[in-house]
Amino acid sequence: MAKKQTVHLKVNGVQREAEIEPRLLLVHFIREQLGLTGTHVGCDTSNCGACTVVLDGKTVKSCTVFAVQTDGGELLTVEGLMKDGKLHPLQEGFKQEHGLQCGFCTPGMLMSTYALLRKNAHPTEQDIRWGISGNLCRCTGYQNIVKAVQYAAGKLAEGGPQ
Amino acid sequence: MAIRIEKSFRVQQPAERVWAFLSDPRRIVTCVPGAKITEQVDEHNYKGSISVKVGPSVTDYKGEVQILRSDPQAYEIEILGKGSDVRGRGSASVKMQGKLKALDAGHTEVTSISELNIVGILAQMGARVITEVSNIMFGQFTTNLATRLAEPAGPTESAAEAETKPLDAGSLAWQAAKGVFRRES
Amino acid sequence: MTIEKTTPEVGGMGHSLKRKEDSRFIQGKGNYVDDVHLPGMVYGQMVRSPYAHARLKSIDSEKARQLPGVLAVITGEDLAKANLAWMPTLFFDKQMVLATGKVLFQSQEVAFVVAEDQYTAADAAELVEVEYEELPVLVDPHKATAADAPILRDDRDEKSNHIFHWEVGDKGATETAFQSAPVKASVHAISQRCHPAPLETCGCVADFNKATEKLTVYLTSQAPHAHRTLFALVGGIPEQNIRVVSPDIGGGFGNKVPIYPGYVCAVVASLTLGRPVKWIETRSENLQSTGFARDYHMTAEIAADQNGKVKALRVKTLADHGAFNAAAQPTKFPAGLFSVCTGSYDFRSAFCEVDGVYTNKAPGGIAYRCSFRITEAAYLIERAMDVLANQLKMDPAELRRKNYIQPGQFPYKTALGWTYDSGNYEGALNKALEMVSYAQLRKEQEEKRKKGELMGIGISSFTEAVGAGPAHTFDIAGIKMFDSAEIRVHPTGKAICRMGTKSQGQGHETTYAQIVAQELGIPASDVVVEEGDTDTAPYGLGTYASRSTPTSGAATAMAARKIRDKAKKIAAHLLECSEADLEWQNGKFLVKGAPSKSKTIQEIAFAAYTNFPAGLEAGLEAVDYYDPPNLTFPFGTYICVVDIDKGTGEIRVRRFVAVDDCGNVINPMIVQGQIHGGLTEGFAIAFMQLIDYDESGNVQGGSFMDYLIPTAVETPHWETGSTCTPSPHHPFGAKGVGESPNVGSPAAFVNAVVDALSHLGVKHIDMPIAPWKVWTILKEKGVVN
Repeated sequence: MAKKQTVHLKVNGVQREAEIEPRLLLVHFIREQLGLTGTHVGCDTSNCGACTVVLDGKTVKSCTVFAVQTDGGELLTVEGLMKDGKLHPLQEGFKQEHGLQCGFCTPGMLMSTYALLRKNAHPTEQDIRWGISGNLCRCTGYQNIVKAVQYAAGKLAEGGPQ
Repeated sequence: MAIRIEKSFRVQQPAERVWAFLSDPRRIVTCVPGAKITEQVDEHNYKGSISVKVGPSVTDYKGEVQILRSDPQAYEIEILGKGSDVRGRGSASVKMQGKLKALDAGHTEVTSISELNIVGILAQMGARVITEVSNIMFGQFTTNLATRLAEPAGPTESAAEAETKPLDAGSLAWQAAKGVFRRES
Repeated sequence: MTIEKTTPEVGGMGHSLKRKEDSRFIQGKGNYVDDVHLPGMVYGQMVRSPYAHARLKSIDSEKARQLPGVLAVITGEDLAKANLAWMPTLFFDKQMVLATGKVLFQSQEVAFVVAEDQYTAADAAELVEVEYEELPVLVDPHKATAADAPILRDDRDEKSNHIFHWEVGDKGATETAFQSAPVKASVHAISQRCHPAPLETCGCVADFNKATEKLTVYLTSQAPHAHRTLFALVGGIPEQNIRVVSPDIGGGFGNKVPIYPGYVCAVVASLTLGRPVKWIETRSENLQSTGFARDYHMTAEIAADQNGKVKALRVKTLADHGAFNAAAQPTKFPAGLFSVCTGSYDFRSAFCEVDGVYTNKAPGGIAYRCSFRITEAAYLIERAMDVLANQLKMDPAELRRKNYIQPGQFPYKTALGWTYDSGNYEGALNKALEMVSYAQLRKEQEEKRKKGELMGIGISSFTEAVGAGPAHTFDIAGIKMFDSAEIRVHPTGKAICRMGTKSQGQGHETTYAQIVAQELGIPASDVVVEEGDTDTAPYGLGTYASRSTPTSGAATAMAARKIRDKAKKIAAHLLECSEADLEWQNGKFLVKGAPSKSKTIQEIAFAAYTNFPAGLEAGLEAVDYYDPPNLTFPFGTYICVVDIDKGTGEIRVRRFVAVDDCGNVINPMIVQGQIHGGLTEGFAIAFMQLIDYDESGNVQGGSFMDYLIPTAVETPHWETGSTCTPSPHHPFGAKGVGESPNVGSPAAFVNAVVDALSHLGVKHIDMPIAPWKVWTILKEKGVVN
């Protein structure tokens, strides 16, 4: 068994430190060691995106990142989207536009679309569909997810929380 | 999963020298990383093993190599290799027909037709990946063969020094994946 | 039956209330089985067979056991000592929990490793050494009954790969009709093996408490009560000591109805170790070993007159069930509800036969929003009708219209024994034709054909049967298919309800509350709905086959009405009048002729605990176990428009219009969401999904690399519409709807592609219709160089 390593990173704004095996996947680190179970595992081939988180400002599939690779970095998971008890416009949008059914893909979708809107504040429908092309959903057929993102883009343009 | 692979290549060595090498499983095995002959049962039958590494897990195949037919006059050989994974991950068998043709200037053309059959976890990758991986393995084989044939040392000594580092199928798979996109004719 | 809508604040039927369950999901605070963490919990991992058919010679788990952190390695031999190496399937067969003697499909469960953490369990699984002796493999169902076919099931008395023969209908009358019919059309259509692949895989946490002797199983189960009873019967554990909890489930689609070996092994491990054991399968395990869908090889023949009026239908089907018959369907129906294959049409006679066989593939057959094989049946009849239309050179919409069962004929008894409750097929057709501007599209197609461009229009006019079902006909593993609801109103006028169903995304926490709101006038926001905990919810058969609204939904209404009956007594007491003087309106009882004298349901609820009449029990609650008098028969017409690229064979769905009729709707937004999702699954099945096996039994399509799930990019835009033909027997005229889109859409997609190529002589293409298939046809027909 390989020697454990210490990793320091900021998680949802809070500085964290842990001693972990080098082979520990980030998604397992998040779910088991940080106790943040919002990030989900949906496949074993990096296809589904249910594990999507934002690392150092970019979306990554946390099943394909080793936790030790995040040393010194900043991680944002779905649990970090709310600010001061208020839902992020995306979270609001998913509820308003019925962008979820079983909820399993939702955290990954929220993180992907969060990053999308930061890069492109006025995405077209095609932009949104491409933006979530790395996130699989079995329940919604994506149509209402697109509407949820459009809702959020609208709210953010009005000057909601970023 | 049955796959048929036809290959031909040239070696800058006289045909007799190539035949001496290719008709001896103990020498062929020195060109395949991770493979070894562990026992010679009789004139035509050998026991051997090959280690294949995919990512962090190593699969050890144990099996038999049988010379079905050997014709030193016509430079034709037919070899059957069969093995199953010691931990029960699957099995593979390959029947190879090899033929040598002496060319001018002391060169030899080697043609081979292999029928490869894979059962188990590896076979789930599909014919695309298996064919590409086989192509790459074959490429490594011919490179190693050319190197070995060029060595002045005796064949049995080479066999003893044979590499037993496992065949790294993980990097093979990566190369295979790249190969699917980049066609070299 | 028309529903009088409540105000939006009350949120009864017909209101598109935002979902109550969303709050936790959007915050990442759902509670799925893999989120369950219990003190002392350990992890299980399966060791699986790489061979499709082999003798199991030996298992050496010594190296695995020696690894630090490994607590146990369980094999079939160990389970056999407790008589658990085999377990009954949901359909008169048994299946191996862990292999003994031999293995019958690639990825079959061979050993179960338990360790302190997941990674150690995975390491240990790699160290288990299994010796196999390969046996000849059978993967072609057509060869299953050949004389030289290897016999797969040593355990059966009958040494044959044939499982069952089932037939229904009037063979003689059908024969006669065919003999005299001037027109006969036939099609051989394969409903290919695919897999529902919900985004959350299957898993459980089995927690046996040695001190209390109680076993709690957190389980991805669409039918928690049925699973509890089966654990009790098969495992010999007293049922009062078993609690099954289905927490949040990340999609079911039928995949989470069977009991899987992993669950049994986790329970055994927990019973042995006295610690919670978590087993969560990987995606590859899910695709390769859990309940697959379809694998029906079908032939349909239609006998008709020269004008296209259909007379008789003859269907013959070969069903590939894999290594064990683990189909989850009502016991009287070995081919599920496949005999609704007469569809929306008035066939005077019909005959249908199905033969099931074993092969060296994963077990199952009923899944993927199939309504118990109705997906296969609807696909077949809708393809056959198009083949007939093409043969007669009739417009496919007009051929259907000519043959629909007419509104006046309901309740309609089909030639194969079903009694459809209500329908207005022409209504749905007309609406769909209008929405898609059908006449214009046909004109466009004509123009395009002259220019050599490929465009197709596909229609599917399906009827399906959901809401299983009446006790006289429907039971699963012997348990009748009623369902239940329990409602309890608190003193402050709020309510808590529990049902015997189990949502996996269908929005029950909202929709059931809306039924209560409709019946009792209590705002839906004041009603809490819980499902899935067998310690608290009344017994039910679970959620699949679109049965929740027809069964538990009905039970909810009936329980609410019982409450209303008691409320009336309390109101009469409070208003000092007789019950006959009262009428119910908008959530209150008022005195007829003196409407200012009234009591709201909230006032009545308070009185139920503080001021109830003598002789009446306190409290305001009711339970109802509902035995539906019949199934419900939702229907619809879907129209798909495709454009095909001549050079690549690529198919682009230009438009898809879906008109559904599920009677009275509880929440239109939720229904629409279900339609979107189901159409996307139908799209996937039609164009990209296949679980295939090579001649050695190696699974092709065993991971998401090869088994394709549509992303947002290729998923078309769905246009939805509806008509409303209530069910006359349902308490609020509703029918189920969740599976309609998966039932109706594959035929619409395939009909569209075939229609695009029919002028080239193409009559049928089997799914999945990938671009290379179309390209190959175009090449054969000389359209492509």
